[in-house]
Amino acid sequence: MKYQTIYLRILSWLITLAAPLHARELDFAREVRPILAKHCLACHGAEKQRGGLRLDRKSLALQGGDSGKAIVPGQPKASLLLQRASSTAPAEQMPPKGERLSAAELGTLTAWIQAGAPWPEDKASLARHWALEPVRRPTVPTVVSASSPIDAFIVQRLQQQGLTPSPEADRAVLIRRLKFGLLGLPPTPQEVEEFVADRSPMAYAQLVERYLASPHFGERWGRHWLDVVRYAESNGFETNQPRRNAWPYRDWVIQSFNHDRPYDQFIHEQLAGDSLGADAATGFLVAGAWDEVKSPDVVLTAQQRADELHDMVATTGATFLGLTVGCARCHAHKFDPIPQLDYYRLKAVFADVQHGERPMRGVDPTRQLQALRVRAELTALESKLRTAEPLADPGATIPRRPAVTAQHNSERFRPIRAKYVRFVVLETNQYEPCLDELEIFTSGDRPVNVALASAGARATSSGDYSASPSLHRLEFIHDGQYGNSRSWISNQVGRGRVEIELREAVEIDRIVWARDRQERFADRLATRYRIDVSLDRNTWTVVASSEDRFPFGTPQSGMIPPAESVEWLRLNQQVRELRRQLLTLEAPQLVYAGRFTAPEPTYRLHRGDPMQPREAVGPGALTEVGPSLSIPANATGPQRREALARWITAPTHPLTPRVMVNRLWHYHFGAGLVDTPSDFGLNGGTPSHPELLDWLGAELVDSGWSLKHIHRLIVTSATYRQSSKAHPEGLAKDAQTRLLWRYPPRRIEAEALRDAILFVSGQLDTRMGGPGFDLFQPNTNYVKVYTPKAEFGPAEFRRMVYEHKPRMVVDDTFGVFDCPDGGQIAPKRNVSTTPRQALNLLNSPFLLQQADLFAERVMREVGSVPAAQVERAFRLAFQRAPTSSERVAAESLVSEHGLPSLCRALLNANEFIYLD
Amino acid sequence: MPPHPLLDRRSFLGHAATGLSGIALTALLAEQRLLAADKKPLRPVIQPEAPLAPRPPHFPAKAKRVLTIFCSGAVSHVDTFDYKAELIKRHGQPLPGADKLITFQGEQGNLVRPIWPFKRRGQSGKMVSELLPRLAELADEMCFIHSMTAKSNTHGPAENQMSTGFTLDGFPSVGAWVTYALGSECRDLPAFVAIPDPRGVPQIGPNNWGNAFLPAVFQGTPFTADKPIPHLNRPARLSAAADSKTREFLQRLNAEHAAARPGDSELAARIASYELAAKMQLRAAEVGDLSRESKATHELYGTGDANKIKAGFARNCLLARRLLERDVRFVQLFNGSYAMGEGVGNWDGHKTIEAQYNVHGPILDQPCAALLTDLKRTGLLKDTLVVWVTEFGRMPTFQKGASGRDHNPKGFTVWLAGAGVRRAFSYGATDEFGYQAVEKVATIYDLHATILHLLGLDHERLTFYHNGIERRLTDVHGHVLDAILT
Repeated sequence: MKYQTIYLRILSWLITLAAPLHARELDFAREVRPILAKHCLACHGAEKQRGGLRLDRKSLALQGGDSGKAIVPGQPKASLLLQRASSTAPAEQMPPKGERLSAAELGTLTAWIQAGAPWPEDKASLARHWALEPVRRPTVPTVVSASSPIDAFIVQRLQQQGLTPSPEADRAVLIRRLKFGLLGLPPTPQEVEEFVADRSPMAYAQLVERYLASPHFGERWGRHWLDVVRYAESNGFETNQPRRNAWPYRDWVIQSFNHDRPYDQFIHEQLAGDSLGADAATGFLVAGAWDEVKSPDVVLTAQQRADELHDMVATTGATFLGLTVGCARCHAHKFDPIPQLDYYRLKAVFADVQHGERPMRGVDPTRQLQALRVRAELTALESKLRTAEPLADPGATIPRRPAVTAQHNSERFRPIRAKYVRFVVLETNQYEPCLDELEIFTSGDRPVNVALASAGARATSSGDYSASPSLHRLEFIHDGQYGNSRSWISNQVGRGRVEIELREAVEIDRIVWARDRQERFADRLATRYRIDVSLDRNTWTVVASSEDRFPFGTPQSGMIPPAESVEWLRLNQQVRELRRQLLTLEAPQLVYAGRFTAPEPTYRLHRGDPMQPREAVGPGALTEVGPSLSIPANATGPQRREALARWITAPTHPLTPRVMVNRLWHYHFGAGLVDTPSDFGLNGGTPSHPELLDWLGAELVDSGWSLKHIHRLIVTSATYRQSSKAHPEGLAKDAQTRLLWRYPPRRIEAEALRDAILFVSGQLDTRMGGPGFDLFQPNTNYVKVYTPKAEFGPAEFRRMVYEHKPRMVVDDTFGVFDCPDGGQIAPKRNVSTTPRQALNLLNSPFLLQQADLFAERVMREVGSVPAAQVERAFRLAFQRAPTSSERVAAESLVSEHGLPSLCRALLNANEFIYLD
Repeated sequence: MPPHPLLDRRSFLGHAATGLSGIALTALLAEQRLLAADKKPLRPVIQPEAPLAPRPPHFPAKAKRVLTIFCSGAVSHVDTFDYKAELIKRHGQPLPGADKLITFQGEQGNLVRPIWPFKRRGQSGKMVSELLPRLAELADEMCFIHSMTAKSNTHGPAENQMSTGFTLDGFPSVGAWVTYALGSECRDLPAFVAIPDPRGVPQIGPNNWGNAFLPAVFQGTPFTADKPIPHLNRPARLSAAADSKTREFLQRLNAEHAAARPGDSELAARIASYELAAKMQLRAAEVGDLSRESKATHELYGTGDANKIKAGFARNCLLARRLLERDVRFVQLFNGSYAMGEGVGNWDGHKTIEAQYNVHGPILDQPCAALLTDLKRTGLLKDTLVVWVTEFGRMPTFQKGASGRDHNPKGFTVWLAGAGVRRAFSYGATDEFGYQAVEKVATIYDLHATILHLLGLDHERLTFYHNGIERRLTDVHGHVLDAILT
């Protein structure tokens, strides 16, 4: 009774206090549902209905549970929900365990029930949220002035607001907008001239086709995609070590856009490329941060693993579905119909994925071609090397040949006929001597190794090492295989002898030997030796020895070679380098695209705490969104991921097509039709043109998921082609330009800015693909330190999408232009302005160097007359001639302070960095 | 909503004193609820042409600016500020329950008493160790939180949490949140300055001052007394005349360009940013010119110390004071750098803590104490909040087979001083050994909520919409630590 009294008092107070709030409409979805989701739905939701009560559906909630009415509209005192939630009696209070409702939350619920518990089921309730309804192709409105369906939707809406679209932009503006939009680069003056001069009605459409077919298209749109999926090429967290093999995913994305890989396939491969012959594509799964600092602490280890999988679940949900699935990690989603179990179903889909590299399967034609090229070069050099090699001089006493190395030694001598060859070791640097392979070559143009057992040669020795016979055996000395694990070791410390009997007497002129050609071991090296040959095993002739070599350990600088071997040493160096390259090229390319294990068991984690596992959860998709999906609990990892991909790309999925067409719209116009590109849930934005969004979504699916089809529709629309000029009426009615009464002008992104500077200075290196370039100085500390480079050369002049992009560290010059850091997903970028941007563009070494190179280019192209220089510089930077007043000012600047000063100014100008 | 009389917190507490528990509870509930009724996001309105213009707080602020001193690597609380008599008494004995305890690097050795003796300090008699003798003498200025806890026991995530509220990468730093909320009173200097240690950037480097998904204008600008703002100065090869004529020409180009495009405020913003940059060049040179300080001041900080690292840190401390004096909103000063080997470069004393701290202690002590003294002397401490932090504490035991202490996020000490916080006050406590926070357990969310509160900001309402979520510095947690406020 005591509790009851206090409770009634509290409730009375709450009701009194709630009174002033009645005037304000409570928003069920944003204010009430989150409270229920946080405290109630775990036990009274879709998954469990303790006490027969379910609070995630209006009709069921109003029915009440076993104990009676939970909610009596207009009567807080009669509502069990409030009685239990505010009770202090241990036996009846709700929730029974864990965090109680705060006073604020109780107040909101009280006010809500008092107001009649408004629960808008029919219009805005969860299942009826617009984005979760099927995409239905709308009828295109009949608008006389509209030249395309997109325009019809846009103009209709403008007319409703009493606005009209703007006239078409002039051609110089249009080509600049289009080329930046599709390719991320400015047009050349010539391109502009040709386009302006081309009066054909097809000129624009042809330009669109040309740009859509350009390989730069994938670079531009690939960069956008990499933002969306939080791609970066280092691990993040404390050590932030680079991922040297992450780039194949970046290249796969670029190629996918270039080849217009159907969007459904694009999704399939990113989720399950390991079983679709697209190994690099699963780089998507592990493009996020990964903490490589490991510990015996089980709590930390469990947390790290939970965070890894969370990153995959959350990114998959946001990227393809535009849903913040990650919010359901600790409890049911506060706004969207995502029960906590759904989060764990998705987690189970990824339970086989571990961070790391794996070899790419299949043949990479580029690498194969490179390997062929290197091999040909190597063969040519090797033959040169043979003839350039200084002859061994067994009688010499003054050193003239390089000291022996563990990796490779060659002995060239005058051609001599031999049937027997002896290698006699007289001293080692340590222990019993080891030879991994002894090769004896015939003289002439096509040397053959006649020492091989397979060539009929036989080997004998003074005695063999008896330990580890699987690694060290006499027969391994001429088996054609290199390395410590296929080598011969003598049974005597510092001494030993091997004799090879050739199949027949032949003329030989070279012997090659080493301790370990695989470069792992450097002990057991013969540092004093003698090689002699014989035809009859009676008379031996010494052909080479260590006597004419520099003593073992002599540093490179200490070996002053005689003139005749300088060339040989140089060639030797080159050959080694090529051999190393060949080894890399012929080894399978690794890709940071995840390693796969058997799926780990998945449990629902109470409050998302990895130390509080609850029931086991099998793989599955969202249960209250999109089509239904069941995945057998015993499905393999790839089967789980494939099933999820099929579910996401079902043509009836309400979210997948909408989300993607909106992304394309977002990058073309600076804002999406939905201005929250990775959140189509209840807390996300409302579409400015819902029918247009659905029309584009239907087009995407019906075109066979062709993204280029959508691009084409957008950029050929009159809406895209209109002028960006503002007028007071438009600004007054729609300052944000959401309705598109003009093309919204905007700043180009950090990467486009850097690329454009290089393009204009004539330095842009357009080579595509492969490992990225570094903008930071090399550093081998185990916690990687990122110190920006202060000098740049051609190696750094590729497009910025090819930067080896570290996580959480942005470029020293351009990063401050709102470049994402790869820590979290970046479905849209901020545009902020700071004095540091100005300082970087005025004073950074990169910009000053480019201003100089830009000036050099202009001089190369038009000579030294300032008037011509000014004209050319303006055309290159702005694709237009200077006005007369600009011309006067610019010429004065050039004549007083030189052309680089003008170039520095142009690269800083608003006109350079903004798109009309 | 007009202020309801019931909103007045003190009158409610008055009611509470009558002993009517039901009423008191109700009153408290009501007060919180009515405040909460408007717990809607309160996103600052940013003018694009002046994103750092000063903005009003949510309610009157005690502090106008913040200095954080971040000791990277995890300072041992049991060897500095958290005195435990029982730890001394039980030296050499096992920590009860430690046989099953696996911490970051593994198993535990025995309890080890503080390596530096503790002494009573100031009028309050607060026990502080001899590792930091000069800071110890300022104990009366400090407000210690001894019951701090962190969510991770590894440096990366834990430093992330201390500086951004989240253990994961990619969330905005405290300084970025504060400048996003309040802008800056100082137009010609960066609103938020991060001063890395002379030995290098701290662990997780720029995450500490990153903007993440906030606009880049709110990121911290890293520079030190010895390394100016990147690209601040006109390169030597350009003459002053060429530079100024180029910039005149540029402004003219931009002015004509903007005139042809009325109504596009971003263009005006960018023009303004070049004017600001020019002012910043002058002002930053002036603020970094330590030669304007007296000899006595230099001696107070130890800028001429024979220990080059200490002298460098001392110059950074002096720079911090000069920045605060000029109303820079948020200064983040680092002591300790990234790991260059365990415990080298920062406070990560796993293996030989005594030798390592005998290096790090003197670098921190005099310059940091001088800074606090100087802030007090100049009156800045009245409206500057000083927050000394480290990412977590260390174990009261030595690691098995080593002479150092492992990571311990279960209990550690941070301290505050200055605007709005109680002097000579200790809040919360760890257990008898200093292992776990047991009394008034505080979280980093609480610390952040309190910092924002002192700046006049409601941590539940300061939000930024990012991908479906009204993001907060304190996520969905955090309570202002009312007890430490004046």
